[in-house]
Amino acid sequence: MKARKITPLITFGVMSMVFFLVSGWVSAAQDGKPSPNHAWKDGAEIYAKICAYCHDVQVGPPIRNRELSPDYIRHMVRNGNRAMPAFRPSEIDDESLAKLAEFISHRSTQP
Amino acid sequence: MTSQYIALPKGVLEKDFDTAIRDFRTVLGDASVLTSAEQLAPYIKTMMPVPDGDHTPSAALLATTVEQIQKIVAICNQYKVPIWMISTGKNLGYGSAAPAERGQVVLDLKRMNRILEVDKDLAFALVEPGVTYQQLYDYIKEHKLGLWLSMPAPSAIAGPVGNTLDRGVGYTPYGEHFLFACGMEVVLANGEVLRTGMGSMPNSNTWQVFKWGYGPYLDGIFTQSNYGIVTKFGFWLMPEPPAFKPFVIQYQDEEDIVEIVETIRPLRISGVIPNAVVIAHALYEAPVKAKRSDYVSGPGSIPDEAVYRIMKDHKLGIWNVYAALYGTQEQIDVNWNIVTQAFGKSGKAKILTEQEAANDPAFEYRAKLMCGEMTLTEFSLYNWRGGGGSMWFAPVSQARGSETLKQMALTKQILAKYGLDYSGEFIVGMRDMHHIVDVLYDKTDPEQTKAAYQCFDELLAEFSARGYGTYRVNTAFMDKVAETYGPVQRKVHSTLKKALDPNGIIAPGKSGIR
Repeated sequence: MKARKITPLITFGVMSMVFFLVSGWVSAAQDGKPSPNHAWKDGAEIYAKICAYCHDVQVGPPIRNRELSPDYIRHMVRNGNRAMPAFRPSEIDDESLAKLAEFISHRSTQP
Repeated sequence: MTSQYIALPKGVLEKDFDTAIRDFRTVLGDASVLTSAEQLAPYIKTMMPVPDGDHTPSAALLATTVEQIQKIVAICNQYKVPIWMISTGKNLGYGSAAPAERGQVVLDLKRMNRILEVDKDLAFALVEPGVTYQQLYDYIKEHKLGLWLSMPAPSAIAGPVGNTLDRGVGYTPYGEHFLFACGMEVVLANGEVLRTGMGSMPNSNTWQVFKWGYGPYLDGIFTQSNYGIVTKFGFWLMPEPPAFKPFVIQYQDEEDIVEIVETIRPLRISGVIPNAVVIAHALYEAPVKAKRSDYVSGPGSIPDEAVYRIMKDHKLGIWNVYAALYGTQEQIDVNWNIVTQAFGKSGKAKILTEQEAANDPAFEYRAKLMCGEMTLTEFSLYNWRGGGGSMWFAPVSQARGSETLKQMALTKQILAKYGLDYSGEFIVGMRDMHHIVDVLYDKTDPEQTKAAYQCFDELLAEFSARGYGTYRVNTAFMDKVAETYGPVQRKVHSTLKKALDPNGIIAPGKSGIR
């Protein structure tokens, strides 16, 4: 069997050099701008990039479409449960956690 | 009088701590200084077999800038308040986000999460401590940089700074992470900011491309240590290869570890197999496919007979060697012939590629780890015993078959004495093997928790008595492991500590250093 082929690299054009101020003199790379501080877009993104890795692959129990209460979800996220780790407000801030709880508890029309 | 804090730092009076907290609030704002039980709950949960109270923090500080950290260490020096740094706080099985000692203030760097630089041509990254592998993965994909990450099994929720500083490992050719570290920025206890290597020179553009700088190499003393607070971290990334061929080789007898290691060592040292290979025992892979309760009930470790039934039912070897080839198709074809000839000699090996194993859930997650794709499927391990108890026992072995067999047999024997299973694997090495064993137990069961503690203690004692050192350990056992490396190393560590942090404010107890 042949090895898995990997999509060829896309050559970037010249991007503008960006400088930013971190104690004076760290410069940005030619290929990417320094990212701003990370912020979650919405509950769906948090679910996909944290929760789904366990809860959608039978590592943890399914949690979507079970009408779990937002308060219960918030408690589990902040305190953890058995092997499930706790998540701090520095990882998922309170506002984002409210969106996540809403996303999980809301019954999806998708199968 | 009842304290308003859920814990206090050792030797610090509450009135002094009050003043320190007030000053922290002035620097960070009220919302970024956490002291209530509810706010601190996520910092307390660990998987270790000790009371959570032993590792309860007094407060948590959410810093976002180097300047804030400089002010924080000044306050800590003034009031002799110890801090414990975390980045993503997902050092699961090694202490999670909790401090080494009760009452330490957690300095939570998760919100310092800017990706400062990713250079496509030179294939390096410079990031802040709170950047997760998922965040960096998304950034690389979004900017089509054609670079691969190497990360540990908690991939998406962990990050390169914390993992590398604790000398963690991954599964690609860049799997020995500290080998690929290049340049740090460190806030010292006196508030000065050090950039290591070429970073010390103003206007240098070689900080992330040349490790050594001039004079003694310093980066190493900021790993597994408490000599400073790393606020920026450079490391090399692997260019995406044109082709990738993951495979698994299965063996049926535990003694076959000798043949596996003797076969694989020359292939690793010569670079025919370039990645951090995993030799996983059946019980490390079984939780992805099987439930323990379907094969055994009641107390005690799982009998070999049940393990063989699991292997048969779920198409596992007793040893499962996961490795991959990387490069052009021509390179892979040549190396594949060498690999299959080497492993084909005895007739014991069963070699499977994606063609045969693509839908196998164990192969699938292992293949993802070997090409830097996010997956947390290895967490299936935690369902094996249930109850959320886990400690990584991590002795180092020579990459010599007879040695790996000895370590496996000794580990299994001690675990069985305490009714625990051997969920082990050997990983990484060219000349060494990190022998990684997940000591899994039910933390909701007091008897099993007590047994797990005693078992881990005995594992450390018996292994060190035979000259087998542990490379990394959870916060409950750091002093014990430090002892095993002898008094001279401890004295040197302590001398460095006193020189760099005379008030002992930075993470006292890390790696047994005070």
